[in-house]
Amino acid sequence: MEKVLLKNLGKPGSHTLANYVASGGYKAFSTALKMKPDNIIQMVKDSGLRGRGGAGFSTGLKWSFIPKDPTLQKYLCCNADEGEPGTFKDRGIIDHDPHLLIEGMAISCYAIGASKSYIYIRGEFVFGAERLQEAIDEAYANGYLGKNIQGSGFDLDMYVHRGFGAYICGEETALLESIEGYRAQPRKKPPFPALAGLYGKPTVINNVETLSCIPAIVEKGPEWFSKMGPVKSPGPKIYCVSGHVKKPGLYELPMGTTARDIIYNHCGGMLRDGKPLKAFIPGGVSAPLLMPADLDTPLDFDSLAAKGTMLGSGAVIVMDTSTCMVKTAYIINRFFSHESCGKCTPCRDGTPWLTRILKRIEHGEGRPGDLELLDGVCDNIFGRTFCPLGDGAVMALRGALKNFREEFQYHIDHKRCMVS
Amino acid sequence: MVTVKINGKEITVEDNTLILDAARDAGYEIPTFCYQADLMGIGSCRMCLVEIEGQKKLQPSCVTPVLHGMSINTDSGTVQTARAGVLEFLLANHAMDCPVCDKGGECELQDMVHKHGPHKGRHAEPKFKFHDKDYVLSPVIIKNSNRCVQCMKCVRVCREVVGQNVLGALGRGDHQEPTSFFRAFMNCEMDGNCIEVCPVGCFMRLPYRYKSRPWDLKSSDTICPYCATGCRMVIEERAGTLMRAKAQLGVGLNSETLCARGRFGQDFVNNPERINQPLVRRYGKLEPVTWEEAISHIKENLTALDGDKIGGIASPRLTNEELYLFQKLMREVLGSPNIDSSSRFSPDAVEGFVAATGMGEGGVSVYDCMEADTVLIIGTHLSDENPVIDYIVRRISASRRMNVIIASPRAMKLDSSANIVLRHNVASENAVLTSLVIGLNEGKLADTLKGMHEAQLDANLKASGVSADLISTVVNRLAASSSIAIIAGTDFLRYPEGISGLGLLKDLLKSRGKKVTVMPVLDRANQRGAWEMGVHPGFGPGYSETRKGLGTEGMLDAAMKGELEALYVVGSDVASMYPGDDFARTALSKVGFLIVQDMFMTETARQAHVVLPGAAHAEKDGTYTNQEGRAQVIKKLLTAPGRAKQDINIIRAIGESFDRSFGPKHFALVLDEIRKEVPSYADVSLSFNNKRNTDNKLDNRGALVKAAAAPAVKVKSFNPASVETSGARFILTTGNHLFHSGRSSMKSETLLGLLKGAVVEISEEDAASLGLKSGEKVRVKGANFEAQMTLLTKKGTKSGVAFIAENFDDAPVNRYFRRGGGIPRVDIIKTI
Ligand SMILES: Cc1cc2nc3c(=O)[nH]c(=O)nc-3n(C[C@H](O)[C@H](O)[C@H](O)COP(=O)(O)O)c2cc1C
Ligand code: SF4
Ligand code: SF4
Ligand code: SF4
Ligand code: SF4
Ligand code: FES
Repeated sequence: MEKVLLKNLGKPGSHTLANYVASGGYKAFSTALKMKPDNIIQMVKDSGLRGRGGAGFSTGLKWSFIPKDPTLQKYLCCNADEGEPGTFKDRGIIDHDPHLLIEGMAISCYAIGASKSYIYIRGEFVFGAERLQEAIDEAYANGYLGKNIQGSGFDLDMYVHRGFGAYICGEETALLESIEGYRAQPRKKPPFPALAGLYGKPTVINNVETLSCIPAIVEKGPEWFSKMGPVKSPGPKIYCVSGHVKKPGLYELPMGTTARDIIYNHCGGMLRDGKPLKAFIPGGVSAPLLMPADLDTPLDFDSLAAKGTMLGSGAVIVMDTSTCMVKTAYIINRFFSHESCGKCTPCRDGTPWLTRILKRIEHGEGRPGDLELLDGVCDNIFGRTFCPLGDGAVMALRGALKNFREEFQYHIDHKRCMVS
Repeated sequence: MVTVKINGKEITVEDNTLILDAARDAGYEIPTFCYQADLMGIGSCRMCLVEIEGQKKLQPSCVTPVLHGMSINTDSGTVQTARAGVLEFLLANHAMDCPVCDKGGECELQDMVHKHGPHKGRHAEPKFKFHDKDYVLSPVIIKNSNRCVQCMKCVRVCREVVGQNVLGALGRGDHQEPTSFFRAFMNCEMDGNCIEVCPVGCFMRLPYRYKSRPWDLKSSDTICPYCATGCRMVIEERAGTLMRAKAQLGVGLNSETLCARGRFGQDFVNNPERINQPLVRRYGKLEPVTWEEAISHIKENLTALDGDKIGGIASPRLTNEELYLFQKLMREVLGSPNIDSSSRFSPDAVEGFVAATGMGEGGVSVYDCMEADTVLIIGTHLSDENPVIDYIVRRISASRRMNVIIASPRAMKLDSSANIVLRHNVASENAVLTSLVIGLNEGKLADTLKGMHEAQLDANLKASGVSADLISTVVNRLAASSSIAIIAGTDFLRYPEGISGLGLLKDLLKSRGKKVTVMPVLDRANQRGAWEMGVHPGFGPGYSETRKGLGTEGMLDAAMKGELEALYVVGSDVASMYPGDDFARTALSKVGFLIVQDMFMTETARQAHVVLPGAAHAEKDGTYTNQEGRAQVIKKLLTAPGRAKQDINIIRAIGESFDRSFGPKHFALVLDEIRKEVPSYADVSLSFNNKRNTDNKLDNRGALVKAAAAPAVKVKSFNPASVETSGARFILTTGNHLFHSGRSSMKSETLLGLLKGAVVEISEEDAASLGLKSGEKVRVKGANFEAQMTLLTKKGTKSGVAFIAENFDDAPVNRYFRRGGGIPRVDIIKTI
């Protein structure tokens, strides 16, 4: 397959404007500037592009919610917080092909009528933030950003906003709070950001990968995009593969590639002989894990939802039989309770409770009744939290408990691990 | 309107009603922690989750509006499990130290667990602890974060209502701690609204710490005796000591809020310096006597005096019943028309102000003012004078987004909620208002007048120091508004020239078909009541015609000439408040017979021939009429110390000594007589106070007094205030400090703990140009007085303006003023 998102990765100097333009960059932006904004929105709708940040919402539809009133200030915020463990795709684009993102954002801003845009980048990505800033400076210097871009009358400013070191900063409304200078905690919806977002103005928030698809859609047309992968979630997709495979890394493949194809074909198979696959997480740690029997599931939004899990950020974490599921569940849960923003009761006080129990079990201090207690606490969290973080914590744990209950029980009964 | 089903019961409510409110209307209470009617909903505690038919997840009813046809269950098994689950989570890390928690017995968490909770907890892990020992956040606040339920009401009330914004949260997840900036000691408004909203024992009152248990307290529902906002509060006592004052959600116009004075200043009642027995001067010394001796001594000395040579001054902190009886005693028994309720404001200014603000037209609710398209605040430093009105404007303007225009020489906290701020010169309210009048008339004046009107406008702009641009922005907003509220403060009484401008603007706006509401804002709890009861030399009860007499100034003049044979002063410290201290003192020393009735041995009382120990608001029953014209009930909680008596009983005893039928005998009967004699009070009821507004609509408009029959008051014009011509740099202005109210608050131990010594406030720029820093000791030097005090700088205050509050004993601001003189100028010099 011809790569779209990672096509420049690995090329020397891929991050420079000169090389980006030489490989055909910013042509789509010039084309877009000659189009009617509404037509671009229609194009994106027709392409079937769904958000790559996790929720898989139709990008074109999201854009179409932005009010057309030209007197209203509108914003585009690029979500580059990339906090989901196992995920490193956005970083790949930012570090190696920043102009692809800038071009995607410029077209998107033109389509929704935003004259100001922010890239909210995870605080730890110091290199990425510097690289983005350099690229933005280049783009300004060469007339791709700033006032009256290419004589079109369209003005666009772009700012890099470094994040504040919390996973919740990636939740879109917490991200807006954070840009405004408040503590990153989710806002209540409605109002949705499309109507009242950043500084109370209409705002679109999109993931890096989502926005990076835009130039290709404009250049090659929506049909080309919609024909790739499953009808309902088409397009190219970057899978971030980590764990017990021979060749972990970023793989740009058509949406809906099966886990088997990814693990055994693209990634060269399991890491160690004699240690076959025990389980895999298909979409970042919030996604419930799948078993070897599920290897043929196409990794796309709908197929995974049908399996009770999700594509999420596209982070595929592969675990072989040497993996202790109790420890895995504990570490994942510890991540969530550490990252709980503290706003709502069930997540704030429920996830640390889960962590305390899991920690005991992992350290051989499990008590009879612990598993039922875990179930009970999960029940009191799930569906009652303010944002999806708390639900994510429960879904991940429930996935482990459902498939590996005897392993947990073994830990409690024998005060030690079943695997090692 | 939408129709929904709640627990099977159909109910029709307005669009966008929250499920929580709709359920309450249908008779179902939903438990909440983070919801508070006056704060923006955040939907975070999840206590209020309900089940909506067809929706997979439970929904927070405190932020979810009803939709037509919704079927909601507020008490299903799932809902009950969810509530118990939330409570179990809240208890997981909770300190559970109820036996040593000040909140025990009135804790929402205790109540909630009792009602909805899991009665057995499953959390058997080590708890997270924020800290070991409670920490002090301010002179009135102590905190224990281990009891927090993270409802953020403290943070939100401080930001959204008080506007101080000094609270926030540290940390994340279960380490999230709502507190001050890294737990630092706070220099804030000290109102303790954060304490009041806290459902548990996190934010606690330092003065009340370990003092009592709620069930050991006796309480009464009353009104704050400080400013004329008229906040409702519950005061509580234990073994004869007033322990605390608190506000109640959804009760009174203030709902759950109070300012520092109201919440922490009630302890003046306990002050050991209270006078507790009548005293009579014998051989130059005040000596204890019995009540009978005191009264007969008074009778002896007043008998056969010419009524015109007797004067009476009564405090605007007395009840309506006391004030009514006081003027009745003066007018009908002693035959004196010389009656006043103020040593600061001239009777003419009062009459003009009463007329211009339309007090005779009946009460005006602050909430009606908040419905206007434009709210103009002028003649008051609202944030310090009437803090709870500042809260109301801030809160409502944040959601309604009406125009808020503030005109004041001094910067104030509320400026941040204003669309336009006019920083005008001291005493130039008239110039500001006249500029607006001219601006609104633009184009309507005949051509021949045009030159003159421009000249006039220029003169007014120059006098006010406000730019033509700002005036025209205000004019445009006024012109575009169909309803306008004007909130006018006591600077109109200090600098009465503004009264005619106020009257003009009001009339002009009305003539343009606009709805105009004027609300006076006053600084003494029952100032309006004092006027409406006729404690004024120019009008009788209900602003009726009466024989004209002398006001305080006239009485002191007469005394100076040896023409005042007797003076009866109730609760007013004339000697300390009257401009040019020595004049009042000398004049008082020349009064033939001086009777002073007070709680404390004031400067005035020291000069008296007879001292009568009166009572505090907490020791009386009666009514107050606040600035809006809302008649509210105050209720007795304590008995006055020693042999001190309720003022109403003392006034009556004096009256009875002359006329056995003087009365009525009971405050309620006095109110009956007021209802008959003062038609605007015909509907005033003692039950107004006790209505709890369950729907959180805070305004009980039924308590507003009606229009007076034929108010004998006129808008007058006054000469412009003159300013002293000395070369000193600052013009001195005064008013009340945020923590104090007149001199009464100087008897509150807690308020003195917040601020005792005098401060002088100037702008940051002025301070910088003088090489002075905030907090430094300075000397403030005027033509006839100088004193040392602390400098406070304020960003945005008009250059050349110095403010010293009228409250301080160590730097009595009245001494800078000269009787009949202009506005004083002062210099500020660094003390070395
Ligand atoms: C707890 C939490 C963390 C999230 N973190 C990220 C993130 O790091 N990056 C991201 O793009 N989206 C993240 N999201 C999803 C965003 O809220 C949002 O859906 C997304 O940015 C929308 O962009 P898209 O439509 O392009 O996917 C997160 C959501 C939640 C609930
Ligand atoms: S579920 Fe609640 S506590 Fe957890 S991150 Fe979301 S809002 Fe914060
Ligand atoms: S006392 Fe008032 S100003 Fe101070 S922190 Fe509490 S709410 Fe804020
Ligand atoms: S301190 Fe009190 S008011 Fe503040 S969040 Fe905690 S429980 Fe709520
Ligand atoms: S002083 Fe005024 S604002 Fe403060 S509590 Fe008392 S009545 Fe209310
Ligand atoms: S009261 Fe509704 S979520 Fe807290």
